Amino acid sequence: MREFAGKIGRSAIGFVKHVGSAWKIFREALYWIFIAPFKGQPCKIKYVVDQMNLIGIGSVPIVALVNFFFGITLAMLTSYQLKQVGSQELMAGLVGVSFTRELGPFLAAIVVASRVGAAITAEIGTMAVSEEIDALETMALKPIRFLVAPRLLALLIMLPCLTVVANVVGMIGGYIIGRFNLHIDSSFYIKLTFDYLVFKDIWTGLVKSVAFAVMIALIGCYQGLTVRGGAAGVGISTTQSVVQSIIFIIMIDCMFNAWFYFI
Amino acid sequence: MPILEVKGVQKVFDNRKVLDGVNLSVEKGETMVIMGGSGCGKSTLLKIMIGQLKPDGGEVFIDGEEIVHLKDSEMDRVRLKFGMLYQGGALLNSLTLAQNVALPLTEHTRLDRKIIDIMVKMKLAQVGLAGFEKKMPSELSGGMKKRAALARAIALDPSIVFYDEPGAGLDPIVAAVIDRLIMDLSKKLGMTSVVVTHEMKSAFRIADKMAVLFKGRVIAYGTSDEIKNSDNPYVQQFIDGSLEAASVSAKDSTEEYIKSLVEGN
Ligand SMILES: Nc1ncnc2c1ncn2[C@@H]1O[C@H](COP(=O)(O)OP(=O)(O)OP(=O)(O)O)[C@@H](O)[C@H]1O
Ligand SMILES: [Mg+2]
Repeated sequence: MREFAGKIGRSAIGFVKHVGSAWKIFREALYWIFIAPFKGQPCKIKYVVDQMNLIGIGSVPIVALVNFFFGITLAMLTSYQLKQVGSQELMAGLVGVSFTRELGPFLAAIVVASRVGAAITAEIGTMAVSEEIDALETMALKPIRFLVAPRLLALLIMLPCLTVVANVVGMIGGYIIGRFNLHIDSSFYIKLTFDYLVFKDIWTGLVKSVAFAVMIALIGCYQGLTVRGGAAGVGISTTQSVVQSIIFIIMIDCMFNAWFYFI
Repeated sequence: MPILEVKGVQKVFDNRKVLDGVNLSVEKGETMVIMGGSGCGKSTLLKIMIGQLKPDGGEVFIDGEEIVHLKDSEMDRVRLKFGMLYQGGALLNSLTLAQNVALPLTEHTRLDRKIIDIMVKMKLAQVGLAGFEKKMPSELSGGMKKRAALARAIALDPSIVFYDEPGAGLDPIVAAVIDRLIMDLSKKLGMTSVVVTHEMKSAFRIADKMAVLFKGRVIAYGTSDEIKNSDNPYVQQFIDGSLEAASVSAKDSTEEYIKSLVEGN
């Protein structure tokens, strides 16, 4: 029993320590993104653009694919249930609200966490085990500035964009069921969608995607920077990075939903 | 005044004293070789000397300035005074050789792009890699990577260059080339070199002064002749490589192993 309590105590302390160091990295990255440029130390624009390409543009096809099929699925699922109350055309609004509020930001974040989060950890982790990060430090070049800040900024910009893609493609999926299965006229489907969709639905979704972006970047970079134990360590940290990102995304998503629901 | 001075440095890992009061001083222009068996704390000492690791006690002076208590932002100023050659080179794999060597120049100087390009060419030529500017590190052999990393380490013309096992993982000929470069840098450019190694041959080739680490302390210190004639039994054993050689050859060379068996019986 005491052993058990000790174990829990130690892992709690470990967790707090990790959060503390990750917070430090986050603050320093924010400094390099938002404050240093005004002190004559500009952001590494080239690095940011590279990362935006890699993270953002590279994720468009898979985000679109996942959300397209999810849109179709959701449309079929809801119209099946709405059939019972005889108002299947409400499906349009339901799909619209579901995607902008929840599914768009969520699915985009999950795709990016598993694709990009893993890549970030693997790349930075490989640099850590081959002493590249030590070398940067010894050359008085800040690893946070060169490695973390560009990735964080790229994710902060690209994940909301991907979320918009996810929203639109998801609704297109819904439209396909509405048009070809329920035979709803195109303009009427769009009208039905926007009858229910309010601006708050859209911005709450985008706010969430910003929080998810921070989570993915921070966990990915932190896991990479703290890799120990050579190539095998990189593998372990990469898996951990993805698992942790997904867990945190789901938890933060729930908290945001509670917040938006009760206010 | 010595350019690098280590006073009473201690380091404890998991209740084990890895460094137990190390004292060392290196004069300007000197090549100091730090030797010792595997796991005796050479790399740890090197990391403490370049401020990458904080010691649990003691002081380190670079150019007269104590660095253990410096804040990170102040340390950056000191970091520009030295270069470090990591064991595997530690070149950034996403950049070409030229970009790697140019990195310290573009970040720490306000030189014109054209001048930087010329300097990069010169530095690469200095280590015998002229014409390799566009290559990626992954396209190079281990020895070439180390030479490129050396070009990067000396990009800002530092007064001290630290080397962690410069010959490790290289064949004897390539290792000798690296030794030659280290000697050139100190003789021609007056750079101070601090080299950590356990390769006897290379150590005696390049050293002006030597220090032998054993059980967390410097047990012998002096010119290479003084070390050669040291009456410390451990130092002698280490120089002869008698212990190491015996255990290594038994594993590595079946022929010798069988011979030793036959002679033993
Ligand atoms: N970060 C660390 N945490 C715990 N122990 C460490 C750490 N770094 C080094 N050690 C231990 O300290 C001792 C000295 O390590 P160090 O790497 O300095 O040895 P070394 O002389 O460079 O050996 P080698 O010739 O094999 O490179 C080793 O026993 C090692 O296990
Ligand atoms: Mg070592």
